[in-house]
Amino acid sequence: MKTIKIKKGLDIPLDGAAERFVVDMRGVDRYAVKPPDIVGFTPRLLVAEGDTVTAGQPLVEDKNDPRLTLPSPVDGVVEAIVRGEKRKLMEVVVKKELKDLKDLKDLKEPKGLAPEAPVWWMIKERPFGAIANPDHKPKGIYVSLRDTNPLAPDVQFALKGREHEFEAGVKALEAFAPVHCVKAQGPHPAGNIGTIVAALDPINKGEYVWTVNAQDVANIGRWCLTGEYKPERMIAVGGPAAKTPHYYRVICGASLQHISEAQLIDAGYPRLSSSTCETGSTRIISGSPLSGTTVAANGFLGMYDQQVCFIEEGDKYDFMGWLMPGFKKFSFSKTFLSGLLGNLEILDTLGMPRLSYNFNTNVHGSVRPFLFTGSFERVFPFDIYPLQLIKACIVGDVELQEKLGIYEVEPEDFALCEFIDPSKTEIQTIIREALEVLRKEATA
Amino acid sequence: MNMKWLEDWFEKIEPKGKWSWLGSTYEAFHTFAFTPKTVTKSGSHIRDAVDMKRSIIIVVIALIPALLFGMWNIGYQTYTSNPDNFIFQYSIINCWWFGFLRMLPMIAVSYIVGLGIEFAFAQYRHHEVNEGFLATGLLIPMIVPVTTPLWQLALAVAFAVIIGKEVFGGSGMNFLNPALVARAFLFFAYPTHMSGDSVWIANDLWGSDAIAGATPMGQLATGIHPSASALDMLIGTIPGSTCETSVIAIALGAILLLFTGIASWRIMLSVFLGGGAMGLLFNAIGYNDYMQLPFYYHFLMGGFAFGAVFMATDPVTAAQTNCGKWIYGLLIGAFAVLLRVCNPAYPEGMMLSILFMNCMAPLIDHCVVANNIRRRSNRNTLSTQINQRKEASHE
Repeated sequence: MKTIKIKKGLDIPLDGAAERFVVDMRGVDRYAVKPPDIVGFTPRLLVAEGDTVTAGQPLVEDKNDPRLTLPSPVDGVVEAIVRGEKRKLMEVVVKKELKDLKDLKDLKEPKGLAPEAPVWWMIKERPFGAIANPDHKPKGIYVSLRDTNPLAPDVQFALKGREHEFEAGVKALEAFAPVHCVKAQGPHPAGNIGTIVAALDPINKGEYVWTVNAQDVANIGRWCLTGEYKPERMIAVGGPAAKTPHYYRVICGASLQHISEAQLIDAGYPRLSSSTCETGSTRIISGSPLSGTTVAANGFLGMYDQQVCFIEEGDKYDFMGWLMPGFKKFSFSKTFLSGLLGNLEILDTLGMPRLSYNFNTNVHGSVRPFLFTGSFERVFPFDIYPLQLIKACIVGDVELQEKLGIYEVEPEDFALCEFIDPSKTEIQTIIREALEVLRKEATA
Repeated sequence: MNMKWLEDWFEKIEPKGKWSWLGSTYEAFHTFAFTPKTVTKSGSHIRDAVDMKRSIIIVVIALIPALLFGMWNIGYQTYTSNPDNFIFQYSIINCWWFGFLRMLPMIAVSYIVGLGIEFAFAQYRHHEVNEGFLATGLLIPMIVPVTTPLWQLALAVAFAVIIGKEVFGGSGMNFLNPALVARAFLFFAYPTHMSGDSVWIANDLWGSDAIAGATPMGQLATGIHPSASALDMLIGTIPGSTCETSVIAIALGAILLLFTGIASWRIMLSVFLGGGAMGLLFNAIGYNDYMQLPFYYHFLMGGFAFGAVFMATDPVTAAQTNCGKWIYGLLIGAFAVLLRVCNPAYPEGMMLSILFMNCMAPLIDHCVVANNIRRRSNRNTLSTQINQRKEASHE
C-alpha cells in the first residue's frame, strides 16, 4: 500500500454522513444493468423480456469486442428492457427468482480473470474512463483505498470481512500489470483515482492505466476464488434530506426503491409505488453529489456507484441573494459571512456548533463567461492549467487539449472546479464531450 | 422575509409575445431581485453559493471606503484652497456633502450611459446583461479629476464600453481594463482637462472650473519637491483624482478583496514589489531629485495604490496563470515608476503601465503555459524511450 499527500482541494461540509451500521439489502428483488454507465461500451442485447437468466450470464455484449459483457447480477427473469431516445438501451431489468438447487450447482468452479469473465466490466481504463480494453497493455492498475467524495463510504469499513477476497482480487489483477493500492491523504479530490495517478505516474499519450474500485477488487477476488458471480457493494446512503443516513449492503444494480422509502416516507412523503417515481422535492443521486446521476425513487444503483445521496431540490427564488449576508450559504470564496464565521475555531472553544449549511440543488446564479481566475487551481491538484484546458475543450482544439494534458483527466476530476465556479459553467459536461470526441477518434 | 408578492409580480410581467424582445432587460431586473430558481441538471448536483453578482458586489463594497473618503476630500480641498467658494459652513460632514454633490452627477452619468449601452448590446445579442459594469461604472468617476465635464465623462464611458469591451464580446472577452480605457480616452482626447495644475480642485459646487493646486507628482514632474508630507499622502488629504488619494481607504478595500479572495494577492503584492524595486534602483542611480525620492513615496503618490488594488487585479485583463500573475504585477509596478521618473510628460505612469501590461498579459500566459506543455512533452518522450528500452531488453 502506498500513501500520497495532497494539499489542494476542498471538503464540502455536506450534512448527513452515513452512520456505521449496516442494513442488509441483498434480498431486494429487482436489479438493473445500465450499459450507458460503461463508457466505450456499445451494447448488443443477448436476452429478451421473459428470459430466465442466471447470475453471471451475459445480458448484453459489446458490439466492438464480444468478449466484453455485462452479466446479470442475480438469478431471475428479464422483466423489462428500457430504451431511451433513439432506442438507446438504458437498462435491462432483472427480477430475482429463487431457483432449484440443482441449477445452482453449475458454473461454480474457480476461474482465472479473463476478458470473458463477468467481472471484467469492473475494470476501467484511463484515458477516457472506458471499460478496460483487453488488447491494451496498461502500465499500472490503480486502486484507491480512500474515497474522499462528500458523504462517500469508508473503504476500510466497506471491505471489512472481505480482506481475503480483496487480496485474491489484487493477485488476479497482477497478472495484467503491477497493482498499486493507494491511500491518499488530504481533502477531496485526494482519493480520486485521477489525482492518485497524476501524483504517482501521470498518463502520457499512448499509455494506459487501469483502475478498479476497491470493493470491485474484492468482487473480482470472490469470482476468482469461488467462480461465483455475486457482486456486492457496501453503499453509504446519506445527504441532508435523508432521514437516517447509514450503510446498506446490496448487490450491484439493486433497485433503490426500498432505500428511498426508508429514507423519505417517514419524512412525510407519500408512499412510493413502483409505478410512480414522485420524490416530492428531494433529488436522489446515485453516486457522488459532485458527479453522480439523478435516479427516480424506483430507479437502480449505477454500475460503478457506491453511494446514494438525498438532497433537497432548490427550485426556489432567493430574494437579493447577491446582497444578503448569507449565514447559511456555503462558499469556497469567503464572499458570504458564513465564510468568516464557519471557519472560526472560536466557535468550537465557545462550545457553539459550527454552522450547518442548507445545501440544495440550486445553481445559485446565472451562467456567465469566465471572469475570475485562480480559484480552480486551488482545488485541482494536477500539473495542468484547468482554465486553459477547459477553454481548449470549449473551442474544440484537439491538438491544444492534448498538449494541455486532456489524457490525464476525467470529468469527475473537474467536479470541484465546477462546484466553485462563479460563472456556473457546466465544466464536467464540457470535459466529457471533449473526451468523447477524442475517444471516438482513438477507437476509430 | 416573504417576498412571494414580488415573485408573483415578476412572473406576471414576464415579457411574452410581441414584448419578448425585452427578455434581456427583464432578466436583468428579475435576477437583480431574485437569485434564479434554476437547479443543476448535469455534473455537480450541488453548487457553491457564489455567483458573478456576488463577486462583483464585493468589488463595489471594497470601493466604498475610497469613495467616501474621496467625497470628503473634494470638499476639503475646495475649502482649504478657497474658503470663500465653499458654500457651506465648514465641517467634516459638509465637506463630505459638498463632495457627494460633486460626485453624484458623475456616478449617475457613468452608470446611465454605461448600463444603457450594456443593456442595448445584451438586448441586441439576446444575452443576459453582465454585472461587470457595476464595478466599472463606479471606478470611472473615481479615477478622473473632479472638474471633468460630464459630457466628456459620458463620451469616455461610451468609448470604454463599446470599443474597450463590447466589440470583443462583452465582459470576460475584453483585453483592456474598461475603466482605464475610459481614463486613457480622456487623457489623450482632452489633455488640458486631465493633467496640469488646475483641474484637481473644484472651484465651486457646479461647473468644471478649477482652483489651481498641484498634485505631488505634478510638482515632482516640474522639479519641485512635493509640498505634501508622506503622512498627508497616506491619509489622502492632497489634490488628485477624485477617490485615488487615500492610501488608507484603499487599503481597507484591499483587505476586503484579499480576504474574500476576489482579487489576486499575487498581483497586488507583486505590483508593490515591482514598484519598490524600481524605486530602489533609481535611488541607487540618484541622478536627479525624482530619482532620489524615497521608494515608498511612489506607493503614496498618484494612482499607484488605487491601480495596484483595483485596476491591476481585474481578473479578465490580468494574466490568468499564477506564475504569470507575478510577472504581470512586477512589471506593472516597475513600468509605472519608470514612466513617472523618466517621462515627466506623463506624470501618471500607473494607467499606461497597467494598460500596457494588459496587452502583454496574454503573451505572459502563453509563455507560462508553453512551459507546462514542454514539461509534459518531455515526460512523454522520456517515457516512450523507457518503454522502448524495456521492450528491447525483453527481446
